[in-house]
Amino acid sequence: MDAPLLSVKDVSIAYKVGALDIVAVSNARFDVPQGSIVGLVGESGCGKTTMARALTRVIADNARIAAGQMQFAGQDIVSLSEKDMNSLRWRDIAFIPQSAMNSLDPVYRVEYQIVEVLRDRGGMSKSTARKRAVELFEMVGIDPGRLRDFPHQFSGGMRQRAAIALALALEPKLVVADEPVTALDVIIQRQILDQLRSLQRELGLSVIMVTHDISVVAYICDRTVVMYAGKVVEDCDTATLLNEPLHPYAMGLKNAFPDLHSAGTGILTPIAGSPPDLANPPHGCRFAARCPFATDQCRVEEPALTEDAPGHFVACHRAAEAVALREEAKQPGTWGTAA
Amino acid sequence: MNSLKPLLIRTLQLALVLWAVVTILFLMFRLMPGSPLAAYIDPTFTEEQQEALIRQFGLDKPLWQQYFTYLVNLLKGELGYSFRYRAPVAERIWLLLPNTLILTFSSLIVAYVFGILAGAWLAWRRGSRVEVAALPVVLATRAMPEFWLGMVLLAIFSFSLGWFPAGGTRSAGTDYSSLWALYTSADFLSHLALPMLTLAIYSQGLPLLLMRSNMLDVMKEDFVTMAKVKGLSSYAVVVRHGARNALLPVVTSFAIAVGYQLQGNVVVESVFSWPGLGRELVAAVLASDYPLAQGAFLMIAIVVIAMNLIADLLYTFLDPRISHA
Repeated sequence: MDAPLLSVKDVSIAYKVGALDIVAVSNARFDVPQGSIVGLVGESGCGKTTMARALTRVIADNARIAAGQMQFAGQDIVSLSEKDMNSLRWRDIAFIPQSAMNSLDPVYRVEYQIVEVLRDRGGMSKSTARKRAVELFEMVGIDPGRLRDFPHQFSGGMRQRAAIALALALEPKLVVADEPVTALDVIIQRQILDQLRSLQRELGLSVIMVTHDISVVAYICDRTVVMYAGKVVEDCDTATLLNEPLHPYAMGLKNAFPDLHSAGTGILTPIAGSPPDLANPPHGCRFAARCPFATDQCRVEEPALTEDAPGHFVACHRAAEAVALREEAKQPGTWGTAA
Repeated sequence: MNSLKPLLIRTLQLALVLWAVVTILFLMFRLMPGSPLAAYIDPTFTEEQQEALIRQFGLDKPLWQQYFTYLVNLLKGELGYSFRYRAPVAERIWLLLPNTLILTFSSLIVAYVFGILAGAWLAWRRGSRVEVAALPVVLATRAMPEFWLGMVLLAIFSFSLGWFPAGGTRSAGTDYSSLWALYTSADFLSHLALPMLTLAIYSQGLPLLLMRSNMLDVMKEDFVTMAKVKGLSSYAVVVRHGARNALLPVVTSFAIAVGYQLQGNVVVESVFSWPGLGRELVAAVLASDYPLAQGAFLMIAIVVIAMNLIADLLYTFLDPRISHA
């Protein structure tokens, strides 16, 4: 097997809030294989966005990468000098932000903002950059005649496409997309995801897709990393995750989203409770308080992320009983009783 | 392009404002106590002479007729006849207006250039000791009355050190072939220095604090973060995307500042005996020279209104969201 393009190893990221150190991501570990789309999924505050932003090393002033490595094409992003990191940015690792509305500078034309990155970061001449901007707009399906528009003249979908065009400008190896379709309606979501998928295949890109939406994961991701309260709890290929999840949280997530393919009961079952306070994380498994299958061991001893089957990682003490637990998890009553 | 229509509407609005100002000015001076001619008429004049004068100035006519004459004259560019100088008001104003404009704009430009740069710099140094020390100083300069500041500067740089002259626009006995020669002479500039500095110190606080707080907000915007994620240079991040956006409200404040500055000028011109409109205005009011005071007020109002128009136009130019809305 080829070496993965990106290999995140035991990364912890902490925010300093007052005197407290809040560890938003702890010991995260996952790989992004060459040319695949990897989903980073979890609920708000689980650390997925923090993890994604850490890959560009542009993080909040009070945040720091406390431990770990991020091996990217032979270099460790964590220990690179700021100068070397800066030359990696956008040329090798590009970013598609959630809110394309605010990520484009309102006072410059869209063309200027694409040309800016092509010239400043890609070393192109002005005229080459302009031609490339036309190409990029055609690639993402916007009329190049709109290049001279200002961002506020674009619709939400167009802005998101423009953000994708910007991200692809310098033909990066890795594109980190932070909730790229969350702000859009489902029709546009699908168009954008299709576009992203076909561009990814065409250009042989690797993509990290940060999302809280399991349907986006199901639609586009080859592999999926599930995060909970700053921890990676399950990491496997998407089909396996959806059909044979090992972690109770992943089982619960599946119940909480509508399934278009099976007739089913049509009843959505939420996971009761809310994630733990990261300023004061619980002992043992972080999901234990909401997990219907939690045992005394779960509440005391933290499960390690282990490879259960080739390419299937999970952090759960009861992973061996997953087949039985999956059946139980399908009963709505199972989740209602969770503390 | 449809950009002409908003401009036209804006100009019409301002014309309306100007008309209101003109009307208020007219009424204000007629509501003042005492006869407008009190300063002009010598007590030794006979009754007939006094009445002849009143007729001559049209003060015997009903108010609406005076108002109408006043408007017509204004449209013809006639501001009336000064009681004190026995000369047309317009002549006097044209003589003094350049002095006021030079003082106002030179001090404001210095204040804004300094304020914008220092504000952006303080935002960048957020939380540092420099910032902690600088803010109270800036607030203090905002709180100082400008006449007091003017006198302190005079005491230090003129009376003690003797670096700059104490007042006026030129040294006694100097003569210049043209106004341009005067305004570009070292003599004029050294006279300008202290009043200019007084007004500049007084006015730099507003752009500085405004720029700083805007900059702090803008630097948190997503597009600035994205500029960093793109690996753009710090210049591009801070200036091209940060400062460029933070600048927008500062531009509007410039126009408002011109209005404030013209008020401030009244005080500073008096302190430095600067022959400008402000000082003339004070003198005219004290001497009950109503036509001149009225003309000076009007001129100041026109400058303020014109600056508002310029700020609007500049804003549409700087912020595409407004021109394309």
